[in-house]
Amino acid sequence: MTSSENVLEVRGLRKSYRSPMTRKKVEALKGVSFNIQAGTITGFLGANGAGKTTSIKCLLELAFADAGETVWFGKTGLSNEAKSKIGFLPERPYFYEYLTGSEFLRFYGQISGRIAPRDLETRVKQLLERVGLSHAGERPLRGYSKGMLQRIGIAQALIHRPEFVILDEPMTGLDPDGRHEVREIIQEVAAQGTAVFFSSHLLPDAESLCERLVILKKGELIFNGRTDALLSDLAQTWQLIWTAPGESGVKQLELSSLAEVQQRIDGLRKAGCEIRNVSMKRASLEEVFVRMAFDPKNEPSSPEAGR
Amino acid sequence: MNAIFVIAKNTFREVIRDRILYSLVVFALLLVLLSLALGQLSFDENIRLSANFGFTGIHISAMALAVFIGSTLVAKEIEKQTILTLLARPISRAQFIMGKALGLMAVVNVVVLSLGLILSVFLYFLNFNFQFEFLIALVGILFEAAILLSVALFFGSFARPIMTVVFTVAVFLLGHWVESLGYFIKRSESEFFKVTATAVQYVIPDLERMNWRSAPVYAVSVPLAEVAKAAGWTLGWIMFLVAATVLIFRRRDFV
Repeated sequence: MTSSENVLEVRGLRKSYRSPMTRKKVEALKGVSFNIQAGTITGFLGANGAGKTTSIKCLLELAFADAGETVWFGKTGLSNEAKSKIGFLPERPYFYEYLTGSEFLRFYGQISGRIAPRDLETRVKQLLERVGLSHAGERPLRGYSKGMLQRIGIAQALIHRPEFVILDEPMTGLDPDGRHEVREIIQEVAAQGTAVFFSSHLLPDAESLCERLVILKKGELIFNGRTDALLSDLAQTWQLIWTAPGESGVKQLELSSLAEVQQRIDGLRKAGCEIRNVSMKRASLEEVFVRMAFDPKNEPSSPEAGR
Repeated sequence: MNAIFVIAKNTFREVIRDRILYSLVVFALLLVLLSLALGQLSFDENIRLSANFGFTGIHISAMALAVFIGSTLVAKEIEKQTILTLLARPISRAQFIMGKALGLMAVVNVVVLSLGLILSVFLYFLNFNFQFEFLIALVGILFEAAILLSVALFFGSFARPIMTVVFTVAVFLLGHWVESLGYFIKRSESEFFKVTATAVQYVIPDLERMNWRSAPVYAVSVPLAEVAKAAGWTLGWIMFLVAATVLIFRRRDFV
């Protein structure tokens, strides 16, 4: 599969459910469409309740969408053949605590149907080592810390060498070292040609890892495209510094477009002010995300929305 | 088929490593031991009393295992969300249900046969007259446990565990009473009772049908044709209940 091919195409996904308390109908997904390209790392962002986990569950048919279509590896619908190429780590994973780490990975390797029994043991050892749990392979999972569980969870998602990995909040609950390790694993897996799709609240991680981003807001897609395109188009602000006549201190202002800067300079010069400095400031993904999430005028337009 | 077997194997391991199983086994062993003590209270019926009480102990333990563990088997997977990683793999929901049922049934088999072995050792020392019916009585317990387990799985596919236990225990009690219902239907003058009771006869499995526990105790022979017929009938109920469970379960959202 070449990198420009889509491993997943999602078209018009809709899902509503009744609130358990009020019995009121809640629209969790309102016609979400996006695609994931082979061999890329795609971040799935959105505030709490934006519909990320619901989307993932609908994609994997753990919950059934009211409308919409998914195309996996070029074929419509989620077949067992497609499932055998997917690795999945759910949010806040709880695993079979009565199993040891090795038994747990062996079990997932066996049900994946993609690993020959003679290769399974080698693969289990290899993965335990990769996620730093070689020492705990024979210990029951009930004795694992939260970080260890997250790491064994990632290992189970990778046990059958999938072509596409979906990780729901893989860095939650990990200390900085653990997060760094997971980042490395994601990069390593992607370098081998596996597409990675992960949801996260940790935007610096998403910014450093993801070539592409899918952003949801209240069940609607507000961005689907390249991370650098989002940052170059929406992440620029301008800082203007000037002094007013008869005043000793400098004044400054942050403006969001160059046209606004020009307009403000004209006004200040007419008023006799002296322009001291004009500089461009590059915002982080976190700043852009907050702006997109809370500013109604950014909803739902984006440079590549829906592409 | 491989997926069903792998899930069954994991379920077997899950139940075998569960403390509840050991509590039930200890309870069953105490009942079997009590059967020996009770036997001593009788002058000439001591062996029969011990055998009878021993079979009752095995029966209660097997039913408790099927009801209490069967009721939480799938609910636990949903509550702990382990089902998410499982169903994201190339297995169908039907395979999942069948794997869980087979795994627990394997445990029930091991427990019933082990307790049967322990009881037979005790009875051997009491000079019990062993017949083939000893085994048939154990097979009857296994048939009944398989039906109750399927009932628990069925209710567990849409009800909470506590309600599943209540419904399954109700089916167990009604199932042992449904045979007598025919007598009341004949005697009753109420049309409403007749219709309702006849309907109950159809929807509740007659669990007395596999009650061969008194046969080895009183040296009564059980025709193999009767066992074969009950086996087919049990299989029919299991298939019906598992199919109904799968039908409900296949469109369930795990949110």
